[in-house]
Amino acid sequence: MTQSLALKAGEARVRLGARGITRRFGALTANDQIDFSARPGTIHAIVGGNGAGKSTLMRILQGMDQPDEGSIIVNDSAVTLSGPAEAFRLGIGMVHQEFMLVNQLTMLENLILAREPVSSLGVIDRAAALKAGQDLAERAGVTLNWHQRVQDAPVHARQILEILRLLYRGADVLILDEPTAVLAPQQIRDLLVLLQRLRDDGRTILFISHKLGEVMAISDDITVIRTGRVITSGPADETSKAQLAVQMTGEMVRAVTPRRAREGDTVLSITGLGLTDGRGIRRLSGIDLSVAAGEIVALAGISGNGQDELVEAITGLSSISEGNVALRYHDVTGMSLHQRRALGLAYLSPDRAHEGLCLEASITDNVIAGHHRRAEFLASGLLRLKAIRAHAEAQLDRFGVRRDSAALPVSSLSGGNQQRVAIARELDGSPALLIACQPTRGVDIHGIAAIHQCLLEYRDAGGAVLLVSEELEEIMTLADRITVLFNGAVRGTLRRGEADVESIGRLMLGEDA
Amino acid sequence: MLDNLIHAALIMTTPILLAALGGLINRTGGIVNIGLDSMMLFGAMTALIVAADNGSWLLALAVAGGTGAFIGGLMSLVITRLKANEIIVGLGFSIVATGLARFILKSTYGVSGTLRLPDVTRLPVIDIPGVADVPVLGAMLSGHNVLTWFAWGMVPAAAWFLVRTRAGLRLRATGAGEKAARSLGLRPLAIRDASTLFAGFMAGLAGAYLSIGLVGIFNEGITAGRGFIALAAFYFGRNHPVMTALGALLFGFFDALQIRLQGRGFPPELVQTLPYVMVIVILAMLAWSAKKRNGART
Repeated sequence: MTQSLALKAGEARVRLGARGITRRFGALTANDQIDFSARPGTIHAIVGGNGAGKSTLMRILQGMDQPDEGSIIVNDSAVTLSGPAEAFRLGIGMVHQEFMLVNQLTMLENLILAREPVSSLGVIDRAAALKAGQDLAERAGVTLNWHQRVQDAPVHARQILEILRLLYRGADVLILDEPTAVLAPQQIRDLLVLLQRLRDDGRTILFISHKLGEVMAISDDITVIRTGRVITSGPADETSKAQLAVQMTGEMVRAVTPRRAREGDTVLSITGLGLTDGRGIRRLSGIDLSVAAGEIVALAGISGNGQDELVEAITGLSSISEGNVALRYHDVTGMSLHQRRALGLAYLSPDRAHEGLCLEASITDNVIAGHHRRAEFLASGLLRLKAIRAHAEAQLDRFGVRRDSAALPVSSLSGGNQQRVAIARELDGSPALLIACQPTRGVDIHGIAAIHQCLLEYRDAGGAVLLVSEELEEIMTLADRITVLFNGAVRGTLRRGEADVESIGRLMLGEDA
Repeated sequence: MLDNLIHAALIMTTPILLAALGGLINRTGGIVNIGLDSMMLFGAMTALIVAADNGSWLLALAVAGGTGAFIGGLMSLVITRLKANEIIVGLGFSIVATGLARFILKSTYGVSGTLRLPDVTRLPVIDIPGVADVPVLGAMLSGHNVLTWFAWGMVPAAAWFLVRTRAGLRLRATGAGEKAARSLGLRPLAIRDASTLFAGFMAGLAGAYLSIGLVGIFNEGITAGRGFIALAAFYFGRNHPVMTALGALLFGFFDALQIRLQGRGFPPELVQTLPYVMVIVILAMLAWSAKKRNGART
């Protein structure tokens, strides 16, 4: 294996790179004279915000798109890639953000699909397949349940499978597009270890990310892209997180300035909440939690410790076994989501693509959804489109959604702008309580600051926020109080000021602060 | 009495099972084949014509299967290449096939509705000496024709094919994750077309079973919607060959029961609807139990 890797890479100085790559779409120049060089056996990070041109560049490096000018460099020489198959022949494979796995098949079947070891008559040699999988996993230092269906496998196992499949198919250059976006903190650490291990085996890794902490942690070289141009490219040890942030955004990111929360009435009050699921497994127990007006309470915890279940209990998306949920002193335990919304509940879903927005519907429709029954938008059963459009435009302006036309599908927007559309809808009509789940997931550094500002302004105007986030930094920035869930129960609550990363981390692991 | 019912149930199961296995493979590849009935109808007609003309049942089966595959191929191309909706296209094929069959009978043979031909070679029936007289077992194993044996042999064969062969794995991947399959360099549309060819072939055989196996004549209503009951059978079996065979057996049983009840004073028009009513009842029960199982999260 090591020998074949050496053969592929040869004595090249540049395993994969770009020279003057330019790609235009109409008036927009997505890539403008892009240069970078990934040396063999290194991790090379490509850093940039949403819309910086990373995706276009990756498509070109995969042969899925052709540059208007410039060329791709493979092993020091310029090549033209006709498609992903040809990129693969040169040893270049990619893990997309959206996994290319067949969920109903097992992990092993996904590994070998289209490269099956077969005996005569096309019968799959299952022993050989399993051995190949186990060898790969062992060399990568991971364990996978090969006979599990992908749909039952946790998301980090699916990602590892994607990576191992590239190795199985013979790639030695791995392009990973935002690989940590879907992972919990511990899994991110494991992935970074795996990537370093693959690098030490002689492979070349192109790591696309906008999470600067991870980039600084594992990269040998870093290329920063902004508005389609390379801002800087060089060794990681010659730069810093702060410097990268400036280069990425082009200006100092305005740090949010949390103000002291005003005391207010209790808006959300949960007492003795418990949940036993259909299989008899205890999901939540004895949860007491309250959020007051003018306060942001954050729910921290490693994902899967009851956050999703608690949110579903508060929103009414699922029923609970015991306890009470009260909104503005009304017991809403048995009420539907619709009734709870009427009492002032707003809910920002963590799953923007499926639950938070209807991607195919227009921006206007997404802004108005749920508010369409209001008298100003509905006259004798018919929608008043003019009033709706005017209101949507006003909301979009208020939340700074950058758009061509509000009549376009919401999928035409970048991730950060999509999230702002969702926030614009949820904060419409001044709700009393906002449940904000992973509000900045998949949003670039610039968008994050803007979304944080929205949440703080809402709080300062007297809104109550329950923030559920896997980003500790986000929690530390925004929260007035931090409640840590562990194993379906409240492990501890810390006030702003007494909370630091270490004490929260201990609570997240079930220890004492 | 019991022996007769068992025997009749197996006889009525065969056409449903043949078409259902074809439809199962097709659906695994990603197409719900609503047009099975049309392929069955033309299989029935061509089998009778060849069996009368040529006298070889084997050739009749080959032509019936080939005709079914041809119609399946046409349907598949419309769905995979022209991106037409599979439900609408499948229904369209079923309706057109009925009209076309009527036209062919009228224009070529000058008959309306029913085609009787002299000297039709029927499918050979396999009597097993010794076993034939054993109660129950005899009804199950003896006195069935070659296609019945073939149909039941295809049940484990299909299960093995799907799980153990390269083609089976690729077929499952195509149906369950077209995008992923394409990204790995497979050709999902071609794989899908191949699965429809197979479904058409099997439905064509099912038609031949009805005309040269069962009755020895062709009638424009000979399929009596069995292509659609086959759909119900593989939905019942959740695309698993063994469970699909059980589904086919269940509907075959009601078909046989319906025929026997007709002679017992029940209004025949009503009794004839029994298998179809049972399809609705059983699928509704399945959906209900699935809903109850997933009831924890609403």
